[in-house]
Amino acid sequence: CHTSGMPTPNGKEYAQKIPREELTHLILKLLQAWKEPLSHFNQHIEHHQELPDDSLSKAKQISSMVHELKTGVEKVTEKARFSINSLNGMASSEAAGLSISNEANMMSDSDFIHCFRRDSNKVQSYLKILKCRIMPENSC
Amino acid sequence: MKQKLTSPVQIILLLDLTAMGLTGQLYPGKPKIIRCRSLEKETFSCWWKPGSDGGLPTNYTLFYSKDSEEKIYECPDYRTSGPNSCYFDKNHTNRWTTYNITVMATNEIGSNSSDPQYVDVTSIVQPDAPVNLSLETKTSASIIHLWAKWSPPPLADVSSNSHVYHYDLRLKPEEKEEWEKISVGVQTQYKVIRLQAGVKYVVQVRCKLDLGEWSEWSSERCIQIPRESLPEKPTIIKCRSPEKETFTCWWKPGSDGGHPTNYTLLYSKEGEEQVYECPDYRTAGPNSCYFDKKHTSFWTIYNITVRATNEMGSSVSDPHYVDVTYIVEPDPPVNVTLELKKPINRKPYLVLTWSPPPLADVRSGWLTLEYELRLKPEEGEEWETIFVGQQTQYKMFSLNPGKKYIVQIHCKPDHHGSWSEWSPEKYIQIPADFRVKDMVVWIVVGVLSSLVCLIMSWTMVLKGYRMIAFILPPVPGPKIKGIDTHLLETGKPEELLSALGCHGFPPTSDCEELLIEYLEVEDSEDQQLMPSHDNGHPSKNAKMIPKETDSDSGRGSCDSPSLLSEKCRASCALPSTLQTQDIRDAQENKGGKRSWETQCIASEQTILLSNNESTKSSTWPAAQLPNDQPPVFAYHSTADAHRIILSTTNVNIAPVLVGNEEKHQSQYPITETVHDDMEKQREMENLHSKRDQTAVQVKQNRPNDKSPFLNPKLMDYVEVHKVRQDEEPAVLLKHKKNSGKTEKYTIPGTSKEYTKVSTVVDHNILVLMPDSRIQHTSVSQEPAMETSQNLQQGQAEKNMSYCLTVPSECKRETSGSEYVDPSSFMPSFK
Repeated sequence: CHTSGMPTPNGKEYAQKIPREELTHLILKLLQAWKEPLSHFNQHIEHHQELPDDSLSKAKQISSMVHELKTGVEKVTEKARFSINSLNGMASSEAAGLSISNEANMMSDSDFIHCFRRDSNKVQSYLKILKCRIMPENSC
Repeated sequence: MKQKLTSPVQIILLLDLTAMGLTGQLYPGKPKIIRCRSLEKETFSCWWKPGSDGGLPTNYTLFYSKDSEEKIYECPDYRTSGPNSCYFDKNHTNRWTTYNITVMATNEIGSNSSDPQYVDVTSIVQPDAPVNLSLETKTSASIIHLWAKWSPPPLADVSSNSHVYHYDLRLKPEEKEEWEKISVGVQTQYKVIRLQAGVKYVVQVRCKLDLGEWSEWSSERCIQIPRESLPEKPTIIKCRSPEKETFTCWWKPGSDGGHPTNYTLLYSKEGEEQVYECPDYRTAGPNSCYFDKKHTSFWTIYNITVRATNEMGSSVSDPHYVDVTYIVEPDPPVNVTLELKKPINRKPYLVLTWSPPPLADVRSGWLTLEYELRLKPEEGEEWETIFVGQQTQYKMFSLNPGKKYIVQIHCKPDHHGSWSEWSPEKYIQIPADFRVKDMVVWIVVGVLSSLVCLIMSWTMVLKGYRMIAFILPPVPGPKIKGIDTHLLETGKPEELLSALGCHGFPPTSDCEELLIEYLEVEDSEDQQLMPSHDNGHPSKNAKMIPKETDSDSGRGSCDSPSLLSEKCRASCALPSTLQTQDIRDAQENKGGKRSWETQCIASEQTILLSNNESTKSSTWPAAQLPNDQPPVFAYHSTADAHRIILSTTNVNIAPVLVGNEEKHQSQYPITETVHDDMEKQREMENLHSKRDQTAVQVKQNRPNDKSPFLNPKLMDYVEVHKVRQDEEPAVLLKHKKNSGKTEKYTIPGTSKEYTKVSTVVDHNILVLMPDSRIQHTSVSQEPAMETSQNLQQGQAEKNMSYCLTVPSECKRETSGSEYVDPSSFMPSFK
């Protein structure tokens, strides 16, 4: 996966150890890293004749969901007033993200889906941990 | 002569030759007993071998004797054991005896017996060989065993099963010659160890009884011992993580190839070259590998393989790729509890709560579980599955009270992963008090309603009529003034018409005009006069007659409390008289009059003929007194309780009988009162003295009433004797004797008679005026009597429009005379 290079915590303990800001930053990085490849992927599969329409619409749906998720996390970041460092980090990662996405474009479809599945699971887990750290009263 | 010599020689030679020939088929050879054998000590057989048979068919017989006895027996059974044998069955076999057996061969020439054989049963026992020998190799713990199994020899006589056999086994590799003999004992199976792999073995068994000989060896059986080899490839069954922090992998070993085998698990992570070995083989049990937290990485794929190694070599399983994130299978939820909640005003419901499995870290959000529960009634077949989501409680509303349910819960991670096992069954017993409460309410309602029904039915029964009347009041009949429905029913036209004609109107001022003379009226408290002018009628009527009387009629013109014969009533003379004369005339002309007349005539005395039909004449309310009715005073004009007593003679003129109580007497008083004898007349003259009491007393015929006046015979017309117009106007009535009714009527006209009441003065004085129109004769008669009685004399009598009298009278007198309608006096009489 193109995002394999990112240092992400591999376990619960690691995820709980790193500070929240960093975790949030990580999430945003991940989401950012997938923005471009997703749109590219959507373009790519539109030409596939054998895929059912459901898949195409689903893929588009997923792209928009990722985008919304990113927006949401950014809002959370603002509200929680995480340090500006994260924003800076974002800028640099933008550049990195471009190169990464180039790499992503070369993946096969199945690898692409596999990587995406994994990363989305990562994001979900991190977000859940984050949620329970910020607001522990809600079903945590 | 020589010839003679040779023949004997020849004969002898011949004989010798013959003899020699015969002995060529000589004695049978001596048989030889080969063996005797017993299979199980209860039977035995002996076989012999025949000798030469000498060329002739030979019979063999076996003779035996027991012990030292002399008796010789013959073989019981030559067949069972085959040719040249003798079978001794149970009955002939005795273990403890020694048999002396000989076989004799007999042919035509002679016989030959064998040497005797002494047989002791127990010593000749030799069972058959065992049967059904089977061989099997089993490998356990790398050691190969050979299992040999067989069955004891079958017995002809199955009943005797109590034999204990001893067995021997022998085996040898196929190529070898030497047998390895193993004493097995009494078992019918044996495990042979120390086998060489890859060798084919041959196995045999034999048996014997306690004392006896060994049987023959059974037939051979062969078996191949498997050769030792590499262990078979193991297979990895599954890998699972119970809480998304550690995981375990299990594998299944193959055959070990005859040697002890070792298993090792090796893994490598995605993107790394390094191969690691399982950190923990023990925690999770045999053939498993447990990865603890340190060794678990997420979002990385593990490449896991298992290797089996033995002396011969090793074999490796197929690789198994695993990403721990996706292999989460939690433990079942715990702490399943039930709580019954009973909110007010609502149905009770059940709340089921549980906890996530202890290892799962739900608090930090690392692992999010979703729950699902299933329940079914205890006796039910199918489970109902309900997806609950992430909450750890569930409210159940729709369970049947009183039933028992089984409920189970399981969970799974919210993403990927698999469902856990179901939690242990939890039994729910729905308390039946749900229903009980409802039942109680319903029971109470039922009881109350039944009570109410009972009460209602009782009241209906007891007061049915009244209730009905209360609820459904009787429909009053038409109340038409002057019409007596009863009369209508009876249908006598005359009466009817008369009734119609009699219909009186409320008193008008006509009455006043009639005032001619003063009539002294006495007021007494006597009894029952119908009170109430206006409404009096109805009531009067009602009282008077069961049938309704026409109140109106009563009130109407002629309220004279005359003796109310029905007739009078019917005739309704009085009221009508007040009306225009015409009516009266009409009346008179009506048949009613006639009837009335007839009645009168019929009963001379009776002024008021009890008109049986009177009841019909409802028009004259007063007239028709019901039997038990109090005297109903017909005319309304009389004030309540006022009795207008027409005193012809006395102040107390016989009360006018109001209403006919079925008795003529009622009439009598009236008439009498009216027509008193002279005395009364005189009394009347003195009436004024008693003026204080002015009342027209209408009395019904009560004996205690002023019946003294009653004198049926006194139907008399009273003539106005004199009228005083002084301050105390009074009408003095003259007694008049009438011989005939008709006469009466003829009389009028001759004298000036005051037949008309013009007014009432001072509440107690009737003012009569003369009426020249008095012509009616016929009518006048009885009615006249009656009517006039009180108020009028002679003509006046008849014309006593004073309806105090019997209405019928009024009627009669209607001949032009006008009657005073007491109603006009109403106010004054108050």
